[in-house]
Amino acid sequence: MSRGGARSPSIRQGLLLYLCGCLLLVIICVAAVTYAVALRAANDAYDRSLLDPAIDIADNVRIEAAGARVDLPQKALEALVYDQSDSIIYQVRMADGQLVSGVDDLPPPPAMAAGAHRFFDAMYRGQKIRVAGMRTANGTVVQVGETLHKRHQLVGEILAAELLTTLVIGAGSVALAWVGIARGLRPLEQLRAEILQRSIRDLRPLPAGGAPAEIAPVVRAFNELLAQLGAANTLQQRFMANAAHQLRTPLSGLQMHLEILLRRPLDDEVRAEIDLLHIATVRASRLATQLLALAKAETVPGSDRSLEIIDLRDLGGAAARDWVPRALQADIDLGFSLEPAVVLGDRTLLPEALNNLIDNALRYTPRGGSVTVRTGCIDAVPYLSVEDTGPGIPAPERDSVLERFYRVAGTPGEGSGLGLAIVKEVVDRHAGELEIDSVAVVCGTCVRISFPSQVSETS
Amino acid sequence: MRVLVVEDDTLLATGLASLLARASHMVFSARTGAEAEAVIQRDALDLVVLDIGLPDDDGFQILRRLRARNSPISVLVLTARDAVEDRVHGLDLGADDYLTKPFSVNEFEARVRALLRRSERVGTRLTAGGLTMDVAAKRVRVHDRAIDVTPREWALLELFLARPGRVLSKEQIAESLFTLDEQLSPNAIEVHVSRLRTKIGPAGVHIRTVRGFGYLLESKDE
Repeated sequence: MSRGGARSPSIRQGLLLYLCGCLLLVIICVAAVTYAVALRAANDAYDRSLLDPAIDIADNVRIEAAGARVDLPQKALEALVYDQSDSIIYQVRMADGQLVSGVDDLPPPPAMAAGAHRFFDAMYRGQKIRVAGMRTANGTVVQVGETLHKRHQLVGEILAAELLTTLVIGAGSVALAWVGIARGLRPLEQLRAEILQRSIRDLRPLPAGGAPAEIAPVVRAFNELLAQLGAANTLQQRFMANAAHQLRTPLSGLQMHLEILLRRPLDDEVRAEIDLLHIATVRASRLATQLLALAKAETVPGSDRSLEIIDLRDLGGAAARDWVPRALQADIDLGFSLEPAVVLGDRTLLPEALNNLIDNALRYTPRGGSVTVRTGCIDAVPYLSVEDTGPGIPAPERDSVLERFYRVAGTPGEGSGLGLAIVKEVVDRHAGELEIDSVAVVCGTCVRISFPSQVSETS
Repeated sequence: MRVLVVEDDTLLATGLASLLARASHMVFSARTGAEAEAVIQRDALDLVVLDIGLPDDDGFQILRRLRARNSPISVLVLTARDAVEDRVHGLDLGADDYLTKPFSVNEFEARVRALLRRSERVGTRLTAGGLTMDVAAKRVRVHDRAIDVTPREWALLELFLARPGRVLSKEQIAESLFTLDEQLSPNAIEVHVSRLRTKIGPAGVHIRTVRGFGYLLESKDE
């Protein structure tokens, strides 16, 4: 789930680890039980064949005056106690403990009634052995013991077969769980993708429908958070808008009184001071206006309330009325080339963007220069551009100028560095594209905004 | 002339009043809708300078009531630049012109002059620089010399003089002159404008071309 970086706990890994732990425990238990069962089966199978030579030997014990002896040819005796994989030893003792035949260092057997036999484990010369012991009616005790190789082999084979099966089943479960968990986590994955592709402004609630019961509460909580964020955002924007708005009225008054004052006959020094005050005031009120515009452009839309079909050409016309007088004052030829360009836009924000572009262009274009506002469509893509014959923006700075309060080093004038940031914000809100080009024009800057094509929506 | 300033901000209100007084107008001041209403009822006014951003939406109310009474008083609306809706709404409600805050003193004075001249002209005459247009006598004078203009040029000049300092689009001009006969092509408008330009040039009045858009009448006295 996590994309590199810090390791965070994964549900999938956690579940699998848990599953593997459980499986291991099961395997250990199965192995223990299997071992016990297998050992018992092996003993059952081989004990019988250990008792047979004991009975044969016991049957052939002859008690004579000279003492007891086993009445079997050496070859037969050897055949009796021969085994392919295990070494077999035997011992025959009289009731009084006298050794009749076989090895003498077998430990004494546990107590047995006459005519009875027993199977038991014993140690012989440091090796574990299995012993079949019997006591005949006359008290002769016969023991036949063998090492445990074939028993171990059998137990091993049974255990291996059993464990192999268990391991295959275990591996199968882990694989199925891996796939199953992935399937189960898919809604979570979808939720993540949904959140990731969100733009930072998009605070619409996540779709809660169809979310599984385990995820629905998370979606609800997340949506609540989004709502709170939206509310906080709105509050902040409203505050900013309010503050800017409140600032502007006294600044307008201040500017007006300074201008009235400047009309009086004034001492040169005083006039110079008041001139500076006037410039600062104009700058401050422009800044307030722009902050307000930025706050508006940033405001999280509750819905698509303010989007309407707008012809950019009409915006250009309105801008002509507002800006031509100022352009004339600055001796700049403000011209237009307006072709129909229909977009889905915000009636308040789009003029804001255009106003800032024209304002910037007029601000940085020297006297005698020209500024041209264009609207139209290229390949059904509506655009709006403002082109000037100013100094242009050096290529490396074209991205930076979109940042707030950034100003190209060495530019004259009293720009705030907010104009293009506002334009960028408005363009983003319209899913448009902003291009700054200082090459296509002979000199100066061309800022062009392209909007999503509206052909399908309008026709 | 009698001018009412409706503005709740003291700083702006006193500034506007002092500017108007200096231009020899009789100034009335109001801070609220109710005060403004009282002045409008009591005194015969020529112009109302109306701040749309009054508390309680009073600005729009005043405008609406004024127009409901078919009052001929000119109204100059003051709005904030960002409030495009206010501006459009104000003009829809019958404001004669608008000015966006903050504005320069020169801008304000020019708008006031234009509006007062308009309200003055009824049945009489329009002037700009050394140009006089006697509407009743159907006569145009440059300084004191009468000049001949064609009916189209007359209509064009009337259009410009009624809105000095305002940009007129070619479409707007074509629409206004449409009643004369057939629709005027942009080229025809250009021809008429350039003829008119030569005729009124000596009066210190210039019709500027706004490239790709339309025209604007400028006179030396503004």
